[in-house]
Formats: sequence, structure tokens, C-alpha cells
Amino acid sequence: MTSERLVLTRSRAWDVARSAHRAVSWTRVGIVAGAYVLCLVAFAAFAAWRGANPLTLIPTMLQSSLLEPSALAQTLLRAVPIGFAALAVAVPARAGLVNVGGEGQLIIGAVAGAGVGIAVGAHVPGVVGVLLTVTAGTLAGGLWAAISGMLKVAFGAAESVTTLLMNFIANDIMLFLIYQPWKDPNGSGQPQSRPLAASIRLQPLLGTGVTLAVVLLVVVTVGLWFVIRRTGWGFALRVVGGNPMAAMRNGLPTRRLSLSAMTVGGALAGLGGVLNLIGVEGQLRPDLTATFGYVGFLACFLGRNDPIRVALAAILFSAIALSGNGMQISEGLDGSIVNVLLGAIVLTMLTVGRRTKEALT
Amino acid sequence: MSIAGEILANAIPGSIALVYPALGELVSERAGVINLGTEGAMLAGALGGIATSIGTGNVWLGVVVAVLCGAATGSVHATAVVLRRANQLASGLVVWFLALGVTSVLGASDNGQVVSLLGAVAVPGLSSIPVVGPVLFDQNLLVYLGYVLVPATWWFIHYTRGGLVLRATGERPAVVFAGGHKPLRVRFLAVCAGSAIAGLGGAQLALGIVGNWSNGMTNGYGFVAVAVVIFARWNPFGVLLGSYVFGVALAISSVVQAHGIATNQYLLDALPYCVTVVVLVAVSSVGRSNAPESQRDALSETS
Repeated sequence: MTSERLVLTRSRAWDVARSAHRAVSWTRVGIVAGAYVLCLVAFAAFAAWRGANPLTLIPTMLQSSLLEPSALAQTLLRAVPIGFAALAVAVPARAGLVNVGGEGQLIIGAVAGAGVGIAVGAHVPGVVGVLLTVTAGTLAGGLWAAISGMLKVAFGAAESVTTLLMNFIANDIMLFLIYQPWKDPNGSGQPQSRPLAASIRLQPLLGTGVTLAVVLLVVVTVGLWFVIRRTGWGFALRVVGGNPMAAMRNGLPTRRLSLSAMTVGGALAGLGGVLNLIGVEGQLRPDLTATFGYVGFLACFLGRNDPIRVALAAILFSAIALSGNGMQISEGLDGSIVNVLLGAIVLTMLTVGRRTKEALT
Repeated sequence: MSIAGEILANAIPGSIALVYPALGELVSERAGVINLGTEGAMLAGALGGIATSIGTGNVWLGVVVAVLCGAATGSVHATAVVLRRANQLASGLVVWFLALGVTSVLGASDNGQVVSLLGAVAVPGLSSIPVVGPVLFDQNLLVYLGYVLVPATWWFIHYTRGGLVLRATGERPAVVFAGGHKPLRVRFLAVCAGSAIAGLGGAQLALGIVGNWSNGMTNGYGFVAVAVVIFARWNPFGVLLGSYVFGVALAISSVVQAHGIATNQYLLDALPYCVTVVVLVAVSSVGRSNAPESQRDALSETS
């Protein structure tokens, strides 16, 4: 093939690619937008049926999650565990791995952080204490996910199943600790760990109500976006995820890459768990994570594995979760109704969005 | 009765509450669809059963409604996964969230209302067998139905035409299509039927064990069911064994505490999950898994 023809071929391919990219079907956009509107209307109808005022419903939800400064701060704080759990899904997904274990990795991160935090207490300066706690949580989350990663690369055990099972093991470990060894003697019988020293807790920044954890989520999200798009590791993950056979034939260390993706994912969730602990909770308690890990999985789905979109989805879900408070107080509905909206949004995306590749006659 | 005997006996009702969702999951997975929405189907079944019992005073009508609620929940997952080819894991979680929200809102008025539990019916003859008789055959009718459903499912899957089509759909849908069947329809029905059976599990939990409604009362049984199916290597009798292992682990704490011994059972609670992970690893490393073939793709979909 002469060089001239090569250039021609290449430019043709480029044209095809560009025109495919440009061809936005407005009918399709209309259908998708309509579906989401329908989803909101269905939710409002359900709430109205149970006695809420459909006209004040949306304002109430916005008020209690985004419009009031304190509510907005709460939304952002809660977006931290959800967001990190979602990023923990996004990184392995690049390498073709499914991490359903965000919940357990959040818990283990918080548990390790609490262990270190309780141990060092106020013996060390606050900054050192925070650094030690956060490092412990991040490492623990990474190692926890690495177990599933190892089982995958060494034995071929489906990581989607082992990560799911490990969630329950993690939860049982936390319950074991807070019911006995780490139990708070001043907790009036409540199953909770001893509280962390005040010096280890994150303080709100400059009267904004949000802590450093929120800043860290933004930084990590942007950093991940860069790492995935612009570094060799990020590219290698995509190759492994896209075509493992091609990756292997090209000499990429596929097993090590898979394992590293899983470990980094777990470390992210561990970080989210420990930040939630030192930023919001202050001590371990049952239902510490309150399904944030699973919400994160869905957020990653809505954001289609792109870090920035994933983080935005996490903030949206955090806002939805918080709007339950408003609905409980002003509309007299059970706060869990927000799960309906959350489910409906992702269901809309799943059924109206593009289909997966699985071939079936 | 010794404490050990008491634990083994107390484990029966809880195990059966787990047998149903696990059998339902098995049917669905045999058709090639993993259903994390089983948890949601159980919740819907539990609320449907309780609410109907409170409303009509008829417990058995409650059981029927529980089955219908389970099937309805399953149809959401089936629609998304089979008709729209949505990601199975994500869709399952979505169904769980939907069920969690809807049942919490609809169940608000039933909160704390107590219904009379399904009564124990001693099987004449069998219940007078020493030791095991009273344990196995002095239970409510849903427990007996669970006993029957295990061999029935096994027989259906392995020895009937329908079971063959079901299994083939889970392995090679294209072959089923070539054989003149409709794999999509098989999958849709399998998911709905599986969720209907899971609804029965919700009924056993709500009407056979607990006797009232509380939000999210299934507490992970539906996810445990997924583990049980792996433990069972997709065999109904394995489901019975696996459910019993989990049931015993769950029963230990309540029995031991009833004897006034302070325990911390949570590490023990983790044990069945650890065993399941080990079983999964063992099965995978042998390289010959009983897992339905087309399910493998479903478990590694990342978008």
C-alpha cells in the first residue's frame, strides 16, 4: 500500500468516525428526555397517591437537598462515600472487572480507620492522626478488594460474586468489633465503637459546612480522569478491559493490571469509608454505610464509568437520598421513598439507554 | 433438648425462608439471568402477605398475594434484562431499591401491626419419629411446601421438557432458538417464576416467623440466596443443604442468647459467606463450573 493511499484510507476512516459522532438523532434525544420526565411524573404520582402534594413535592425535595446552604453542605458531605464507592466501581470497570463490593470496602476502610484512630487517640498531633487514619482506611480498602482480585486472577473466581459476598463478611467484622472489643463503654448499651478523638475529626472549612473530604473527592475525581485518559496505566487498563486476548498477545501483564485496578478501586472506597468516618460519623455504628456502596454502583452506571460524570451522578444520588428528610418532615411520607426515585432514574437509563453487547437471537 | 439440638431445630423455619429465594434464584440463573432483585421480590412478598392478612384476616390469601407480588417485582427485572438487554447486576440492584422504597411507603400503615402466624401442623405419624420427627414435621405448611419444592424443582429441571429448555436457554440460547423455542420468553418467564418463589420466601419470613412488617425486613436474605445457589452449584438439593448451613448460623445466636449466655455471633455469621467464597474458588479453579454458560457474560458486563 503506498503512503498516499494509506493517508487516503486514514482520512476516510476519520470522516466516517466524525460523521458517526456528529449524527445525533434528535428523535432519540427526545425519547430519552421524555422517558426521564415520565419517570419524574410517575414518581410524583406515586407520592401524591400516598398523600403528598405533587406541586410542593419537587420544591420540597430541592429545598432539603440543594437550595439551603446547610442542606447543600450535607449533600456534598454524603456524596463523599457514595462518590468514592462509585469511583471504586469505575476503575476496575476500565479493566473489564465488576466491583459490587463498594459497600464492604467502605466498611473495611472505616473499620481500619477507626482502629488506628482509637489506638493513636489524642497521643499524636491532629494532622498526623488524620494522616495515619486515612492511610489505614485506604490501605485496608485496597487490600480487601485485592482479595477478590487475587481470587479472580489466580483461580478465575467471578469477582462480581466474591466482592458481593465480601460485603457481608465486612459487615459482620464491623458488627463483631462494635458489639464487643471496640464497644463504647459510655454508649448506654448502644452497639457503637468508642468515638474518635476530636483532633482526628475533620472540621468544616471556613464556615462552609463542608470538610476537606469534599475537596479531596473533587481532586481525586479529576486526578482519576487524568490517570485513566492520559497515562500508560490508564491506557493499559482499557486495553485489558476491551480485549484481554489482544492485551496478552501484546505482552501486557494482564493479571497484574487486573489486580492493580481492583486494588486501586478498593483503596478508593476505603478512602471514602474512612473520610465518612472522620468527617461525619466519628464512630462506627451498625448501618454506617446505609447502602452507599450499592448506590455508588448505580452512580457509576449512570455516569458510564467516566470519573467526572460518575462523581456528578454521586452528587445527584446524594441529593436524592437527602431529599428523603424533607419528604418525611413536610409531606409525611416515609423517607425511603427516595429509593423509588433513585431506582426509577437508573431503571429509565437501563431500559431507554443503549443496550449492552450481549448477543442473543 | 440439648442446646445443639435446639439450634438444629430452630434453624428449620429460617432455612426454609432461605430455600424459597434460593430456589427462585436457581431457576432464574438456570435460564441465564442473575437476579439480585430477589431481595426486592422477597420484600414485596413479605409486605403483600402481611398487608393482605391484616386486610382480609386470611393468611392463605396473604400467601397467594405474596407470590403475585414477587412475580410482579420479577417482571420489572425481566423487562429490563430480557427485553431491553440491561446490565443484570445493575438492574437487580435497581429492582431492590425500587422494592425497598415502595414497600417502605406502602407498608407505613402496617408497621407494628401483628398478624397471627401460620400455625404448626403436625404430620400424623412422621411427627412422632423420635428426635427428628418433632423438629422436621411439626412446622407450618409453608415449611412442608419448601420440603416438596426442592425435589420438585430438581425433577422439573432435570426430567421434564420444560426443564431441558430452561437449562438449554441458560447454556446456549441460540440452540434453543434453533430448536424452535423462544429463549427470550423462557428467560422472561424464568425470572418471573423465580421471583414468585422468592415471594413465598417473603411470606414464610413475614407470616411464618416474624408476624409483623418492618421496613427492609428481609435484611439481605435475597443476597444470601445468591450465595446459596453458588454454594449449591446450581443443584436444588444443594440449595437445601446450603440454606440449612446459613439457617444454623443464624439460629445459633438466638438460641444461645435464650439460654442466657452472652455471645458475639457476628464472626460466626460471616462463616457461611467465607465457606461460599471457598466453594466458588474451588469450583472455578477446577475449571469445570456448573454455572450456566451464558451467565458468565452477564457477570462481567461493565456497562
